[in-house]
Amino acid sequence: MSHIHLPDGVLPIWLWAAGFIGAILVGIILIKLSKKEDFSRRLPLLGMMAAAMVLGASVEIVPIAYHVNLTVISGILLGPSLIFLATFVVNVILALFGHGGITVIGLNTLILSIEGILGYLLFRLLWRGLKKLAPAVFLATFFALFASTLSMIGVVSLGTSHYEELIHREEGRGLFEFKLMKEKEDHQTEHGAQGEVHLKRFIIILLSLGLVGWLLEGVITSLIVRYIHRLRPDLLSLGGETS
Amino acid sequence: MIQLSYLDYSAVEGRSFLHRFSPGGKLIGMGLVLFGIVALRSLPALASLYAILLILFFASGVPVKIFPLTLYPLIFAILFIFISGFQIHFILLIFLKVLCGSTGVVLLLATTPYPFVFSILGRFLPSLFVVALFFTYRSIFILLNVMEETQHALYFRGGIQWRHPWRSLINISNAFGHLILKGIEASEKMYESMVLRGSRTRFIIEEKNHEDWGDDC
Repeated sequence: MSHIHLPDGVLPIWLWAAGFIGAILVGIILIKLSKKEDFSRRLPLLGMMAAAMVLGASVEIVPIAYHVNLTVISGILLGPSLIFLATFVVNVILALFGHGGITVIGLNTLILSIEGILGYLLFRLLWRGLKKLAPAVFLATFFALFASTLSMIGVVSLGTSHYEELIHREEGRGLFEFKLMKEKEDHQTEHGAQGEVHLKRFIIILLSLGLVGWLLEGVITSLIVRYIHRLRPDLLSLGGETS
Repeated sequence: MIQLSYLDYSAVEGRSFLHRFSPGGKLIGMGLVLFGIVALRSLPALASLYAILLILFFASGVPVKIFPLTLYPLIFAILFIFISGFQIHFILLIFLKVLCGSTGVVLLLATTPYPFVFSILGRFLPSLFVVALFFTYRSIFILLNVMEETQHALYFRGGIQWRHPWRSLINISNAFGHLILKGIEASEKMYESMVLRGSRTRFIIEEKNHEDWGDDC
């Protein structure tokens, strides 16, 4: 749910350009902090987890327009630096399949990586405190998704004045002029009354649908981690402790 | 997501004028479509752009099975229309922008083998990123095969039934878990082969004609 499913041209240019700059800066910092050998050794794993995330995004739960992200499980398996690169790659590939705009790749990377990095950190923290695998994964996933959805809402609300402009804009004021209606002024006055941005409604719908999604993804991620723990506990690096 | 294999097949096997067109030219064309999507605010202009893309889509002989892929992002665009209070102009604007973007990129990938797209991206992006992109794209097809096998196994274990939500959730999660583990096994083998071949995590692609590329694939 935290993925911005916006087409190109809806967010203001300054916002998506800032998203690209932010993503590049964070990427450079994380890559500088990691070991080079670690990157080349784990690149195939990164590719596989990114591919799993792309496939997860294709399993659509239609009534609530939700798909599993698998970002938290990928974050747990890859660690903070690699999950950032993985989300970048996932967003580029999803954008190439028309799933999310190309211009919002930077913003989507920042938001999805919040989910992956926070999920990883929360899981480590909760595991140390609870020593129970399923609750630690569930809570880490739930709160990571909640945080990334909030940041997505924050990003969307930054463009409010731009949406107002798009809503009020009638035909004939675009890059190319196509006048379809003679009573342009009447329509503009009419639309002026209705044409406001309903951000609250958007947030309420998103959070209520999101809640179902976070619970669902929390349960699915916990069950996936339980499955992995049963067959390949070494992948979770839990320090030899079992739940 | 199964359409992805058709997308790849179409890109490699297609012989239309758009398939033969240079990948660089197509990327520039996609850039222009993107510029149009960002800059255009008029419905007729966006509708015209969409019409052009549709004509190109069907004229280039891309399998019709791929077409639903271009409509998929509409599911999410519906969420965004709540922001406008159901203003028809805004809804149409969003839908047309979504359709232009998705049709443009799907058309690009359905007529251009992905290594060509990635090699051009490699001229501007760090090699680490392009290698990761290549690994991911390759892994998608490996996982798609695993997914197909897993679907059969899932069917024997009761599949997904709305009457048994918990069992269905366990089945879905086990399927994803299996997918991830198989993927990790494949990635370990891939790394071993990379080391054996003395890989330096660089992405090098020879410039070839489209016809030669098809034979190699």
